[in-house]
Amino acid sequence: MSAPRIAVSGLHRGENPQPGAGIMRSVRRRWPDAFIVGLAYDAHESGIYADDGPDAAFVMPYPKAGAKPFLSRLDEVMERAPFDLFIPTLDAEIELLVHLEKELAQRRILTCLPDREMLHRRSKDKLSALAKQCNVQVPETVAVADLGGALAAAAKLEFPLVVKGQYYDAKLVHSYNELSSAASQILAQWGAPLILQRCIIGPEFNALGIGDGKGGILGLCSIRKTIVSDKGKGLGGMTIKDAKLNELCANLISELCWRGPFEIEVMKDEESGEHVLIEINPRFPAWVDFASMIGANFPAAVIEMMQNGKTDPLPNCDAGHFYLRHQVEVLGHVNQLSALSADGGVMLQQTKN
Amino acid sequence: MTTSLNDLLLNDRGFAFDPTGGETYQLSATGLRIVRLLQQDTNEENILTHMMEEYEVDKNTAQRDLRSFLQSIESLGWK
Repeated sequence: MSAPRIAVSGLHRGENPQPGAGIMRSVRRRWPDAFIVGLAYDAHESGIYADDGPDAAFVMPYPKAGAKPFLSRLDEVMERAPFDLFIPTLDAEIELLVHLEKELAQRRILTCLPDREMLHRRSKDKLSALAKQCNVQVPETVAVADLGGALAAAAKLEFPLVVKGQYYDAKLVHSYNELSSAASQILAQWGAPLILQRCIIGPEFNALGIGDGKGGILGLCSIRKTIVSDKGKGLGGMTIKDAKLNELCANLISELCWRGPFEIEVMKDEESGEHVLIEINPRFPAWVDFASMIGANFPAAVIEMMQNGKTDPLPNCDAGHFYLRHQVEVLGHVNQLSALSADGGVMLQQTKN
Repeated sequence: MTTSLNDLLLNDRGFAFDPTGGETYQLSATGLRIVRLLQQDTNEENILTHMMEEYEVDKNTAQRDLRSFLQSIESLGWK
């Protein structure tokens, strides 16, 4: 297979790292000469400037601006740096792209994404209904439209509770004051609905996988988060082998007939000892390259699915491997910033040399 | 959540990894010996005999320590 020409988004690897940089590293593990186009939303996304980063980078309009500007910008990018595969990594992007199947096909851009129904059935405000069908526990959850609704829901759920935006952000709150502040902030930034969830105390587990679109799973890598930042991000993780967690994932993916990458977030309730489903993310997690390092290259498998319509099942990830997140500095030059800001894009191969 | 004792990853220094829960533990030399014996399907009576012989303790002490350790590993879900 010739080296792919692929676009990847979500390039930032700061305090709240996105998956794009890990995907690019995984792609290069399989195809060192792959041509990678980074689609960024800010010229300061750190992955743009990484040594193993993209060959070209372009700034995109935010997905909430709608399909027209997004597609128009994709056309401009395709003219300057043609690609034929796209792995989006941001929830808001995926929400937009599942409505653009036809438009992407017209541009001969291949993706591996769920359809609208699959995507919406796992959304935060519908997760309880899905979990019930799969006999999986979820924390008591209430979706509200405004601050008044949040305060009323808190009286029922009791503190502490977790407040989440529809796509991003989650804050643990212990009082009405903290709830008011968190809810206002999330509503202002991400809009309604606001999700309020009973707080589960216990260890956190994440499972990374790919759904084949027919109810099967092409590979699964499960970890326990061993170090968690104050924002709830996994700064360290250890592979595990837990048959019950695997079964939970298989049931959910089978029920959804999920197609494409996913990350299932689960906690083990200290009180009941049971797994409790927290979220299903419609994308790879930021730690995706860890699985590639231990032999299960999920991004490469998705590329094969996009190109050939199928891929071999991924090898199992043995228990006992761990990762630690390690922050490093990347080097950029003001010329690159200028090209990204003024021209909207930069061919990094040229500016790096 | 339970883990079969045979699935535990152990080294000779007593470092133990539970592959189901993803946690690591440091066992004492005696704890490591007991887990190794349990992995070989040794029954409680025979483990007691081993402990009395190897650590030169009386039966009551060995019994008390063994029960306490067995309760600890049961609470971890190791079977």
